[in-house]
Parts: sequence; C-alpha cells; structure tokens
Amino acid sequence: MFCGIDLGSRMVKVVFMDEGQIKGKHVFDTIEFYRQHGRKSGELLQVDFRELGIGQADYTVATGYGRNTLGLKGAEIIPELKAHVLGAIHQTQLHDFTLLDLGGQDSKVIKVRKGRMTDFQTNDKCAASTGRYLENMATVLGITLAELSQYSEEPVELNSTCAIFGESELIGKIIEGHSIARLAAGVNHTIFKRIRPMLNSLNSDVLVFTGGVARNGSLRNIIRRQTKFQVIVPDEPQLNGAIGCCMHAMVRLGNKE
Amino acid sequence: MARIGLTTTIPMEVLFAAGHTPVDLNNIFVTRHDSMRLVEEAEAAGYPRNVCGWIKGLYTTVIEDRDIDEVIAVTQGDCSSTHALMETYQLAGMKTISFAYPADRDYHILKDQLGKIIAHYKTNWAAVHKMKAQLDSIRRKVWEVDRLTWEEDRVSGLDNHLWQVNCSDFGGDIDRFDKKLEHAIGNFQSASPLKQPLRLGFIGVPPIWSDLYGYLETMGARVVFNEVQRQFSMPFETDDIVEQYLLYTYPYGVFGRIADIKREIERRRLDGIIHYVQSFCFRQIQDMVLRAKLDIPIITVEGDKPGELDARTKMRLDSFLEMLR
Repeated sequence: MFCGIDLGSRMVKVVFMDEGQIKGKHVFDTIEFYRQHGRKSGELLQVDFRELGIGQADYTVATGYGRNTLGLKGAEIIPELKAHVLGAIHQTQLHDFTLLDLGGQDSKVIKVRKGRMTDFQTNDKCAASTGRYLENMATVLGITLAELSQYSEEPVELNSTCAIFGESELIGKIIEGHSIARLAAGVNHTIFKRIRPMLNSLNSDVLVFTGGVARNGSLRNIIRRQTKFQVIVPDEPQLNGAIGCCMHAMVRLGNKE
Repeated sequence: MARIGLTTTIPMEVLFAAGHTPVDLNNIFVTRHDSMRLVEEAEAAGYPRNVCGWIKGLYTTVIEDRDIDEVIAVTQGDCSSTHALMETYQLAGMKTISFAYPADRDYHILKDQLGKIIAHYKTNWAAVHKMKAQLDSIRRKVWEVDRLTWEEDRVSGLDNHLWQVNCSDFGGDIDRFDKKLEHAIGNFQSASPLKQPLRLGFIGVPPIWSDLYGYLETMGARVVFNEVQRQFSMPFETDDIVEQYLLYTYPYGVFGRIADIKREIERRRLDGIIHYVQSFCFRQIQDMVLRAKLDIPIITVEGDKPGELDARTKMRLDSFLEMLR
C-alpha cells in the first residue's frame, strides 16, 4: 500500500493506493490538519497517522506548498509540479498535454511531452487566479462555491488586478444592481483572463484541468468556449497531486525490488 | 578626495583618475544587515509601495549616509525611476549629476557624456585612459575568476557573482581590491572542482535575495554564468574607453544582451536559465523577448524586497531543476 500526501495551502489531501487503484482518500482543512495532527519533531513535521485513523502505508510520498518550510517525517518529498504531472498521466493515460492546476493559492500551467514536463509557468506574488479568490468572491456574493460555479453567461467586467481589491470592486458592482448570475459569471471570467496568457504560451491539443477549482463547471465551459483546447477533467481533480505521489512511490518501490 | 555615489555602473575610470572614490550604492544597500529597514524607511518617507526595492534602498542609503558627497544618477540605460530618485536626493540637499547611456548606442553622444563628467571632476582624457589600463589589468583577473567558474568548476555561483558585481566600483579602493582578488584566485586555483551536475545561467539584474546561489547549490545546480554581473567586469578587449562602454550590454537594448547570452549558453554548456526580474521593473516586459529568442529552458523569478528566498520561489526553482534533470 502506498500513501500520497499533498500538503496544500487550503487543504491537505491524503490518498492510499494499491495496484493502481485508490483504496482510501481523505481531505483535511490545512490549518485544522496542522493544528490537530501535526507536531514539530526537530526540523520535520510529524503526523500521527494512527491517530488520524486512516491506515498505514508501506511507503509514503509527500508534496505541496508546506514542504519547503517543513519536511514530513517518514515521507519522501518530491517537487509539486512533478507530483501533478505524474498524477495527471496516471489519471488520463495521456502523455502529451498541457496541465492546468488551479489550487488554493496556486495556479500552475505545465506542458507535458512524452510523459515529461518540458516547460511550466506558475502564478507569482499574486493569488488572483486561485481557489482562494473564488472563495472570497463567493463570500462577498453570499453564495456557495458550488453556486458560483454555475454561471458563465453575460459576465460583468471585473479588472481583477488583486484578490483583495477585487472584493471591493465586486461590492461596487453589486451596488450597481447586477444580478448574482452576471456577477458570478464575471468572477469566473476573471480567473480565465488571469490564466489565459499562461495557457497561450504552453499550448497543446489537450488541456488536463486539475486542482479544486477544476470542479468549477463554468470555468471549464469558459475555457472550452474561448480556447481550442480539448478540456479533460480527470475523476479526482483535487487529489491529483496526492495520486502523483502514490505513482512516484510505486516506481520507487518497484525500482528497489 | 570625495566619495561619489553611483546608482549603477558608470565609467568609474573618471572618478579614480580625478582622485575620488566611487561608491556603488547598490552594493552598500544590499549588503547592509538592515537592508529591509532601508526599504521601509523610504516607504515611510513617501515612496510608493509599487516602486522597485532597489530604488527605495538607494534612497535611504544616501539619505542616512552622511559620507556621500555627491551622487551620479544614471538617467538613461538603467532605470527610469532614477529620475525621480535624483529629485528626491536633491530635495534632501544632496548634490547630483546625471549620466545617460545613449539608447541608440551612438559613439559621439557617449563620448560627450564622458566628456561631461571628465570636465565636472576636473580630470582629462589622458589620465582617464591611463586609469583604464590600470583597471583593465584588474578586470582581466576577474575574467580569470569567471573562467575558473565555468571552465574548471572551481568557483561557486556566489563567489562568481560577488567578484564580478564588485567591479562596479572595485570597493572604492583599487589596490586593496587587487590584493584580495589575487589571494582569492590562489584559493580558487587550488580548490577541488564543484560537483553540481546542473549548470545554470542567471540573467537579468543582480538578485535582491541573499541566499539564491547557495540554495541552488544545495539542490544540485550551480550558476556558471552571471550575465549582468559579468558585464560589470567589462569583458571586452578594447583600448578605447568609449568603445568599452558601448560594448557593455546592460544599458542598451535587449537584443544586444541576447547575442551575448546566446554565445555564453553555448560556451558554458548551460542546462537552463534563471531570468531574474525585479518587481515593478520595466525589464519584466523583456521576459517576452528573451523567451522568444532563447532556445533553452527558462524560469522567470521575481524578487521584491531584500532578504531570503520565499517558499513559493523555492518551490518553483525545485520544479525547474527537476524538469532539467
């Protein structure tokens, strides 16, 4: 049994896999996870998996934002983009594609050729194209993320330069009397405008869309409408990085034997 | 003998020939233990948050350093914010003189600019040429440090960066610099070769972070080409000082820089390039041109304030190195 852990900025994703099949999956709020289950042991983060009650693995691989500040005790750490590429290849069985991963505070676009990462771009110094932005905007609109993700028609124009100032801009639009549908569509379009330059420069025929934001159906539709990509969302978009960690574990243990 | 602050590299032969001490304000600022505070002081004084950290650091460096007698502000070829930096120096009572590299690389205009500072500092062309010969003999030794970096793998990316970047003012003391350099070269020559398998180029302005080179080396990669820093060492064989500052690529267009970078990619067998950009700098736009014209994996990293690498940049660098392997 392999365990893959993606220490994300908003959620910690844990996946158990055996023989290529998912045997267990768990998603924790990041802050809660560290507060309740983690403690510092030297320079490493120690997580009590027995206490978590989610089982034990023969080999554990971890990735994610947290890994540069703290390693995870008992786990091999791999770079985040590598984990996502491995996860996407396993989930789609494709080897040539562009991977779009939109997470809590990250947006990543990776070009994959013959199963290898050949180029990538990520957001830097700004979280205005990420899940956190969508969460904030849904809160301002007083709707859930699921509701927000239903709208893509007749978007209001939002300038989207900043995830925080975006809130006051949105409030201004609410005062102007636009419908929730148009406001939500505007928010979804804003994300697309932010990632479009990255998608343009790392083009492929197929776009594999992962990360928590991939569950936003409107954004999927906007990308389909406004680009030439064939958009594929794998079965477990949010768990993609953790699945990639399991794939790395499988290769690693296979090599050892 | 006056201490003359510089906002970037200028023909410092003139200052040494006139008996003055050039002080590259960037070096003073970024090596201060409280460089972050200098940026904050500039913001407290009224500098906008969305202005380059170097400009803000240079502002406070001069305002707080009462040993600087005058500042040469490079108003063309470096950073357009320097215009207003110069004006805020003037507001604080600091004497300034401007120097402009001609955008079209015109020989006569550059010669006039040199003539202007030669007259201002009351020296002459003959003395300046003599000083150039003296500095060139030191620069040649710095070229040797660079060669030992990429050809013999005996010098770390940080040491390569430091020796070259210090050629912008030779620490204000030519003889002392020369002695230290000779000693360092002796050590480099007897050092055992470094083992990092990945060979990187660093292009763009020098980084505002203190730990980039060391971090890369712990991750199995080493910078063997520091583009702009190398330019500070004037790696050109010419006896004509005007020609020398025309060959110097940094203050002119990006295409001249690209020709230089391409040559070095080949010569130094680079695996990838780190393009460093400073937050709010116009040079960020040139990333487009560099990516279109350079056929090598490039990662663009952005620095804002002085200090250590942030976790996000480390994550991106790790992924880049992983991709190159």
